[in-house]
Amino acid sequence: MASTDVEPRPATSRPGLPRSSAAVRVFAVGVLSAGVALGVAHLVAALVDPAADPVLAVGGVAIDLAPQPVKAFAIRTFGVNDKIALLCGVYALLAVAAVLLGAAALRRRRHGLVGLAGFAAVGVAAVLSRPAATPVDVLPVLAGVLTGMAAMLVLVSAARTVAVAGPGRPRLLNRRQFLATAAGTALTASATAAIGQAVGHRSAVGARSRAAVRLPPPTRPAPPLPGGVSTGVQGVSAFVTPNRDFYRVDTALTVPQVDVRTWRLTLDGAVDRPRAWTFDDLLARGLVERDITLNCVSNEVGGPYVGTARWAGVALAPLLREAGIRAGQNQLVSRSVEGMTIGTPLEAILDGRDALLAVAMNGEPLPLEHGFPVRMLVPGLYGYVGACKWLTSLRVTTFDEFDPYWVQRGWAADAPVKTASRIDTPKPFAQRRAGPVMVAGVAWAQRRGIGAVEVQVDDGPWRQARLADGPSPDLWRQWTYRWDATSGSHTLRVRATDATGDTQTDRRAAPFPDGATGWHSTTVTIT
Amino acid sequence: MKRRLFATVGVVTVLALSGCGGTDSEDTASGGSAAPSMSASAPMTSMSPSMTSGQFGSGCAAVPTDASNPGSFEAMAKVPVATAASGNPLLSTLVTAVKKANLVDSLNGAQGVTVFAPTNDAFAKIPKADLDKVLADDAMLKKILTYHVVTTQLSPDTLVGTHKTLQGGDVTVTGGGTEFTVNGASMVVCGNVSTANATVYIVDSVLMPKS
Repeated sequence: MASTDVEPRPATSRPGLPRSSAAVRVFAVGVLSAGVALGVAHLVAALVDPAADPVLAVGGVAIDLAPQPVKAFAIRTFGVNDKIALLCGVYALLAVAAVLLGAAALRRRRHGLVGLAGFAAVGVAAVLSRPAATPVDVLPVLAGVLTGMAAMLVLVSAARTVAVAGPGRPRLLNRRQFLATAAGTALTASATAAIGQAVGHRSAVGARSRAAVRLPPPTRPAPPLPGGVSTGVQGVSAFVTPNRDFYRVDTALTVPQVDVRTWRLTLDGAVDRPRAWTFDDLLARGLVERDITLNCVSNEVGGPYVGTARWAGVALAPLLREAGIRAGQNQLVSRSVEGMTIGTPLEAILDGRDALLAVAMNGEPLPLEHGFPVRMLVPGLYGYVGACKWLTSLRVTTFDEFDPYWVQRGWAADAPVKTASRIDTPKPFAQRRAGPVMVAGVAWAQRRGIGAVEVQVDDGPWRQARLADGPSPDLWRQWTYRWDATSGSHTLRVRATDATGDTQTDRRAAPFPDGATGWHSTTVTIT
Repeated sequence: MKRRLFATVGVVTVLALSGCGGTDSEDTASGGSAAPSMSASAPMTSMSPSMTSGQFGSGCAAVPTDASNPGSFEAMAKVPVATAASGNPLLSTLVTAVKKANLVDSLNGAQGVTVFAPTNDAFAKIPKADLDKVLADDAMLKKILTYHVVTTQLSPDTLVGTHKTLQGGDVTVTGGGTEFTVNGASMVVCGNVSTANATVYIVDSVLMPKS
């Protein structure tokens, strides 16, 4: 013990000392202690809450705090890997800091320990600053820093040197012991990180919880879909989108992991009787099952962010009515476990449409990426105003009082779905033989329904497409058009008319701020 | 040496397992962006790994850097290629031509392609009378524009070589590193720009199909 304290100076500043040996000691003590701390923190986070990983939390804070030019630089430099680059940057900084810690610890163990504690404080602050943080989330940092401190003491002790006669060349007291200790620490760091990664991937809290969920059969099942909803033409989107193919648009850095046993949904704001429900409380109210088409406001004309699923959930309107909505309220703000806010017009929820707190998607509990355990769903509204995922609270308020996340960023507060149509086949730049070619696709106008679809070849007359069955106005509708194709390059266009008689405008509008408009076209070559 | 190796291996392992490897990260969804944005994990699984490297080239400096600008690399990476180009002031002549030829939706909907995007300066090299003639001839315009689109997604590593275009003819890329030339004359001034469905190489001359 005493031998470390008597060491006069940090090895690096000592003239005549072989630099590599000193550097190895500093490196081993600092980086390996930090490595063990991070590895253990990662493992404990995987068991408790993967989002409570201190490195991830620090990265999240860095994103929030970074000025716009820095973010722009990161994205310009690293493209879609900007988050990975950020995490690598955090690790690189940690590695540098760890080396300094190593130097400090070799000089005075106390300094190394205090340094580690300082890092733990930063980690705790970052973890607790997340909107969904719970006290238990400090466990990974605490477990990590305590293990890291223990590792540091062991390493410092193993790195004891003795001063030898001559021009000051301290030597390791026991090379073999130091080597074994360093190797053991490195192994511990790697193993805990590896196990943490494996645990985090395979049995994260949410995945385990989802696997244990058993949903009751719906009390109000969806009517069976008529076979005629599908045209049977190859290349047209499946009428019901499989969960794995359903589009995903959200801002979650990591997919939130929710345990239904601790999950609660609260309803408050301007209501007479605020309430909270457990997952089982909600299920006990009985499930309504409906086939509903959902789409994203950021979808371009002809884009892929639209899909249809068989959803099951709790009817939302009765929940709100039971709570007693006070006069003058017009917005329901839903909040996700990671802090996303979405604002929905109360009128849309209460007008008789199937607004749901959905718990099932195509016969299984909501996939994690689609909002497990509960998401909102309001037919006829773009997702960003009606389909909050990983739902945790509902608040009755007014549009004047609160701007939800996307509205703060300039998107429209009220955004009913615009009528749209898409050519699914032939694909852009397809080459076909002259003769009959089946042109087919989908059209949607949730709440109003599709009344007609027309197809135009080049600048020819608009021709009626054949519509497949449309059992509900909240569902998209497939269509086909048999085209007698002649050789050459051709442009095909499609436009839909909703069931109220309004035809899609040909005016091109970008998705911002309330959804794209324009007729979808595709260019094909006939040989 | 051995000890240093141990330590390095340990640290590298920790880093790699914690996501810096980047190969199995599912969490590339964007936070705090200017638009509801698409997670890379779904459903465009045809996205090529070429999206992983950054842009290069002197011409990149002319691209807007403010991420909220639709012409910035950040904004371009999130939207399909024709939409991405329309946000970029360097490419406004190209965008006019693409609209004129009714190719916006087709380019946006084409999966996994590479686009050689001539700058406004590239179009300005064509004598005005010739350019006007091309812009007035939809069939010719379509031919020229589709000649700028390679049917596969090319990373800088796979860029050199002869590639089939949507027009039917081939383009040949020579060079290496960060210096590439298309058909012997058109220089890549800003390469490997990601969009939601295509990789873009901005070039300084318009490419002309042989037939």
